[in-house]
Amino acid sequence: MVNATKGLFISCDVPMAQFIINLNSTLPASQKFIIHILDSTHMFVQPHAAEMIRSAVSDFRDQNSYEKPA
Amino acid sequence: MGHGHGDKGRPSKKHKSSAKEEQRITMVDDEDAYLGNEADDDFRDGEEGKKRDFSKLELKPDHANRPLWACADGRIFLETFSPLYKQAYDFLIAIAEPVCRPESMHEYNLTPHSLYAAVSVGLETETIIAVLNKLSKTKLPKEMIDFIHGSTANYGKVKLVLKKNRYFVESPFPEVLKRLLKDEIISKSRIISEGSNGNDGFTVSKALGETGNGHGDLLNEAELVAAAEEKETHSFEIDPSQVENVKQRCLPNALNYPMLEEYDFRNDTVNPDLDMELKPQAQPRPYQEKSLSKMFGNGRARSGIIVLPCGAGKSLVGVSAASRIRKSCLCLATNAVSVDQWAFQFKLWSTIRDEQICRFTSDSKERFRGSAGVVVTTYNMVAFGGKRSEESEKIIEEIRNREWGLLLMDEVHVVPAHMFRKVISITKSHCKLGLTATLVREDERITDLNFLIGPKLYEANWLDLVKGGFIANVQCAEVWCPMTKEFFAEYLKKENSKKKQALYVMNPNKFRACEFLIRFHEQQRGDKIIVFADNLFALTEYAMKLRKPMIYGATSHVERTKILEAFKTSRDVNTIFLSKVGDNSIDIPEANVIIQISSHAGSRRQEAQRLGRILRAKGKLQDRMAGGKEEYNAFFYSLVSTDTQEMYYSTKRQQFLIDQGYSFKVITSLPPPDSGADLSYHRLEDQLALLSKVLSAGDDAVGLEQLEEDADDIALHKARRSMGSMSAMSGANGMVYMEYSTGRKLAGQGQLKSKPKDPAKRHYLFKRRYG
Repeated sequence: MVNATKGLFISCDVPMAQFIINLNSTLPASQKFIIHILDSTHMFVQPHAAEMIRSAVSDFRDQNSYEKPA
Repeated sequence: MGHGHGDKGRPSKKHKSSAKEEQRITMVDDEDAYLGNEADDDFRDGEEGKKRDFSKLELKPDHANRPLWACADGRIFLETFSPLYKQAYDFLIAIAEPVCRPESMHEYNLTPHSLYAAVSVGLETETIIAVLNKLSKTKLPKEMIDFIHGSTANYGKVKLVLKKNRYFVESPFPEVLKRLLKDEIISKSRIISEGSNGNDGFTVSKALGETGNGHGDLLNEAELVAAAEEKETHSFEIDPSQVENVKQRCLPNALNYPMLEEYDFRNDTVNPDLDMELKPQAQPRPYQEKSLSKMFGNGRARSGIIVLPCGAGKSLVGVSAASRIRKSCLCLATNAVSVDQWAFQFKLWSTIRDEQICRFTSDSKERFRGSAGVVVTTYNMVAFGGKRSEESEKIIEEIRNREWGLLLMDEVHVVPAHMFRKVISITKSHCKLGLTATLVREDERITDLNFLIGPKLYEANWLDLVKGGFIANVQCAEVWCPMTKEFFAEYLKKENSKKKQALYVMNPNKFRACEFLIRFHEQQRGDKIIVFADNLFALTEYAMKLRKPMIYGATSHVERTKILEAFKTSRDVNTIFLSKVGDNSIDIPEANVIIQISSHAGSRRQEAQRLGRILRAKGKLQDRMAGGKEEYNAFFYSLVSTDTQEMYYSTKRQQFLIDQGYSFKVITSLPPPDSGADLSYHRLEDQLALLSKVLSAGDDAVGLEQLEEDADDIALHKARRSMGSMSAMSGANGMVYMEYSTGRKLAGQGQLKSKPKDPAKRHYLFKRRYG
């Protein structure tokens, strides 16, 4: 029998996929959001995680970019 | 803003939010314009909004012919395409601090220090304002005029002159001298001579005014009155033993009449002359000439700092200065290798005889014969506080007792302030000249130099020197190497936080890019390549894998010499790997390619110093000029693993060079996708083996190289003496690449205390982030 799960399909580059996987693994079991890792650049996650992933990615990128102080 | 690694359809929240941000800023700006200062203060202070509104500046009718924009907050913008650029540049560099100098537009900042420097090279308050007004497109803002008046009111009014070995406090303004004498310490130090005349007992003499070599040409071209020809000066004599105290009383925190020091070397009959002059083939280049004319502007020698990029011929400036003063000269360098180089430069450019010059380091303790000569030594040797050998005790005693005509200090930016104080207090010198390539310090001790040595006399513009063909035209590139999946997964793990650096440096994609670049430059262009790696683990791994020689702190002097000799002469050795020992002490004029695989966090100075290794111009002049055979003849690659901290550091490191007008080209596809198995670590198994090697190495093995003693003469001392006191004396304490914490942990910062961050001073974007 076929089960349908609503989810979000994420397509990104290799390092970012690792970042998201790492993010997922640091969370307690109840909050894990990855449903399936399809390959090294694609994955299927719970739809509610979108905002959280976005802000985590954005924070991570902020940390790695230098802005010249005024 | 974001480092575009998200082009594969990743959600780009970042961009949206920054667009919003900008809208908000514009809004606040508008408010500023209409409501004055009442901007949203906890978001960003009103000051910043005010600085951005230039609508009230009034344009002069013939503004198109004038090269400058002067703003009320002290910033000045110079159009480099203006026909008056050269004159305006000479003038601005004398009065203002260069902030950023890209190709078409320069930014300068008027600061109290820069104005102090201006006054000390003989420019007067009114002249500064008049010339500035002449060059400015707009009417000079009142704030700027007030600022210039305020800052220069006291500067340069008082001079400390050594004449016939008597110290005089000299000033054209008798009322200033009277004020100084009201101070108890100064009046006690005064020596009342019999021959004094005038109502106040000051000696009045006619001094020759500025000869106007330095800025005279500007004044003529800008159609301005030349400085006054003759002036009356008043002076009183002070006790030589009290000079330091008097100087201290005059500093801004006390009486606020900072003294300029000048040395009337032509009339110094007490100190014996040194028979040396420049050889005829030593032809100073125009900018060297200019920097010297700033120093010797009125027939006397002024103390100060000259800033020239590496490879632009600082040593010739130093040797020329010594040969003009023609008195005994003490030359201080940072390590034994550069002592040898300085001694060589003196012999190369001047007619000094071998017995008149001597080196004083831990391995060569020479003494000059005769009454005057040149001594080349290191800061550490002079400032060293511990017990010395009998022989060096004698030499240091001689250095202490002698009156030096010139104290020549190399690389002043690396030496810590306390070391300077010590050196300057030990040695009696009439004139101090500091030389440096990069007047930036991560610890902001640079302002100390102003009072310890003197103001900045001259600073060359890098791009102008490139255009003139005096230094190499360097192509700077940042090579983005994506992290491999496995390495990035480890990088993200919390338990690997200490290995982060090792992981992004050992990133196989980076290794491949490095290997590719080395091959390309060795085989296609026949270049000589230096690879820099601060991380010792990476240095060894790379060098072993690629079978190239390497030099790091522990490499013995003999081996170093051998490797460098092979690099210079052999056709088979075209690449060497250097740790940070190579940053400044090793002279490798042959190299023209630098590949940087790891670096010391965000040190802007290290970046500039490393670039300096390849700045010496090579090849024929006509080839180097614009339109010549080779547009670029030197290459500077910085390999950066994307999505890691390295991106942050890399951008920060580039700031100094960007301010000098360099631009970094980003290269994303190295090595080319088709290079496959030609390069190492193509197969996953190899990559995994490398990964496990990195992970199994101890935390300390993968960290930064700890080079406490910089491996020169101090290392030799260390063999005999206790380590604790040595590291303090070695200057290693001052060789700090201090980073201000931006909310993240920094590697190798442990013992350094970072300045407490004042939340009010934080950039408004950061304010937003850290509250």
